[in-house]
Amino acid sequence: MRAYTQSVIRRHPRLSTYGAAVVVVVIANLVALPLDHWLGYARVSMIFLAAVLISAVKLGSGPAYLASILGFFSYNFYLVEPQFTLGIESEDYLILLVFIAVAMLTGGLAGRVRDEASRSLNRARTTSVLFQAGRDFAALGDEAPIAERLVEGLAEAAQGEAVLLIDGRVRQSQSVMTLEPALIEALEACQTTGVLAPGPDGWRLRALLAEGRRLGAAAWRPTIVTIEEADQSRLIHVLIDMGTTAIARSRLSQAWAEIEARERTESLRNALLSSISHDLRTPLAAILASASSLRTFRGVFEPEVQDDLLDTITEETERLNAFVGNLLSMTRLEATALSPQSAAFDVSEALDRTLRRYERRKGSRQLAMTPSAHPLIALGDPILFEQVLGNVLDNALRFSPEDGVVTIAARYEGNVLAIDVMDQGSGVPENELELIFNKFYRSSTTRETLQGAGLGLSIVRGLMEAMGGSAVARLGEQGRGLIVRLQLPRGDS
Amino acid sequence: MSAGAHLLLVDDEPQILRSLRPALMAAGYGVATAETGAGALSYLAGEPCDLVILDLGLPDMDGKDVITRLREWSEIPVIVLSARNLVEEKIAALDLGADDFVHKPFAVDELLARVRATLRGRDLRLAGRASFRSAELEVNFAARRAYIQGEEVRLTPREYDLVRTLARHSGRVVTHKQIIAAVWGPDASVDAQFVRVLVAQLRQKLEENPSAPRILLTETGVGYRLAGED
Repeated sequence: MRAYTQSVIRRHPRLSTYGAAVVVVVIANLVALPLDHWLGYARVSMIFLAAVLISAVKLGSGPAYLASILGFFSYNFYLVEPQFTLGIESEDYLILLVFIAVAMLTGGLAGRVRDEASRSLNRARTTSVLFQAGRDFAALGDEAPIAERLVEGLAEAAQGEAVLLIDGRVRQSQSVMTLEPALIEALEACQTTGVLAPGPDGWRLRALLAEGRRLGAAAWRPTIVTIEEADQSRLIHVLIDMGTTAIARSRLSQAWAEIEARERTESLRNALLSSISHDLRTPLAAILASASSLRTFRGVFEPEVQDDLLDTITEETERLNAFVGNLLSMTRLEATALSPQSAAFDVSEALDRTLRRYERRKGSRQLAMTPSAHPLIALGDPILFEQVLGNVLDNALRFSPEDGVVTIAARYEGNVLAIDVMDQGSGVPENELELIFNKFYRSSTTRETLQGAGLGLSIVRGLMEAMGGSAVARLGEQGRGLIVRLQLPRGDS
Repeated sequence: MSAGAHLLLVDDEPQILRSLRPALMAAGYGVATAETGAGALSYLAGEPCDLVILDLGLPDMDGKDVITRLREWSEIPVIVLSARNLVEEKIAALDLGADDFVHKPFAVDELLARVRATLRGRDLRLAGRASFRSAELEVNFAARRAYIQGEEVRLTPREYDLVRTLARHSGRVVTHKQIIAAVWGPDASVDAQFVRVLVAQLRQKLEENPSAPRILLTETGVGYRLAGED
């Protein structure tokens, strides 16, 4: 029950100051009684005036008035003739009247000055607490630190303990020693009903409201009393409102960030779908247009035109086949259903075959291969290797400028066979050299329409690793162009 | 003047240009090509041209922006090509002022038919003709009357406005939004459902079998088109 008695005292802070005023007057009496003999009772009235002034300055105007009245009576009773009665001889009326008038006036004035000073001190303190809290809430973007700051700020404002309940999660200020289950229950009830309520053991409770929604509840309990209850409670309520708004705002920005992330994923998916449909439909469109042209205008076209259309059909079918091959490889790589054969094969031959396949597709760009004097034998799957090479060449040609040169060089390096494919494109930023091998990765620096589905290089790496080799990228001389290096185990020993 | 017309073919994929150009030329059109939106706009600003075949996925700008920019100063017919096959994209292109839409892949004959229909529609609009006449349907714009097989059909004002709008753009898709603007007014906020109801009413009066329409054709999700003139 100790806490309860304490809280009774807390509820009536003035009581103690009035007690103090009584004590001050008693002391004045003790000082005045012996002095009365030497100084005469008229002069001793100054001691009681001093007591009134001390009460006024230290305790406020109310206690000062009490001190004036007590002083008046004790002065009259103990000192003014006849002593130990409240009777007054005629000439002493004046002294007593002047005493009570001066005591009341000075006590009241000094008390009001003191009250005003203490009120403005409180106001300054309130303003600074709120200002600081506002700044902190704005600086802390996330909900958890804001809630921490709020519960500590609340404990500070209440000059005691504070507990928050937000979304079923309890946060307590460092000053809280033990958390009673009764308080948690009261907080939960407060959150549901939303009403302001006194809680158990002197705790005060309030629901946290933001934009018409209840976020939780707060509880606080002062341990010492210095400022007036009305000011303190106003400060606490404003603090709670600010904290709740900050939490609601942080939730909104959190929700906004989630929406944005979802939209980014969505737009990435759309871009992928549209580039896959582009990669599939462009060759189909060329094939269908060429075939239907030949059918409709067979008699009209010159033989060269007919050949050109037939070539288009052949090349675009190959391109389509390569793309479907990539989609299949990707699926099989993901299902780890790929079992490449590991045989010794001549890489020069595979390079030659692939380059001839690309002879027409390269357009105005050039493909240059550094010839090798001896056969280059590697261990791997020649069919998969040609698919890898096709993807790397596709990529190199796509990012090459008009009339650019794509150089292919193969040589033994230690116990591996290394094949470098160099283009004269703009390369990629250094930090993207690894990322370009990720599935669906699209470089931030390439034009939208130059980008395919982002499958090519991821399949390159997947297939090379399945064959026991590797694929890495680096930038060319002076950071110009991209070099993709393919490595396979040597097969000639 | 369909044959001999001058076309601009805009696509960034060389194999598409390579496969389309011979057929368009064999059909008697003059063909110029452009690989970018900027290239297309600057060609059209300087050269006489009768029709644009425009791919929507261009390297420098969205094909829809090309239409918007072009429509600021030119009424030249535009047929849009797209590999994306999105109804929303089709509606957007038509609302921006494209005349027709062809999905990739397509047979050359289909494209040539659309080119012919679009060029004819433009000629008709240019001629400011007072009537529309197809095998079954005749619309007399001056008298605000419609005839099926030579017999007058009694139409409500809205039904007439709808048939007139479609007849003015015969052979070409008119989107729900364009129909609403023409029939209910440009600021009307009318649901596409109203258009469907109006079309159903009109079909009752025009079509022999309203559930298998031959005159007033549906472009699913996009709008309607009237079967072309002969």
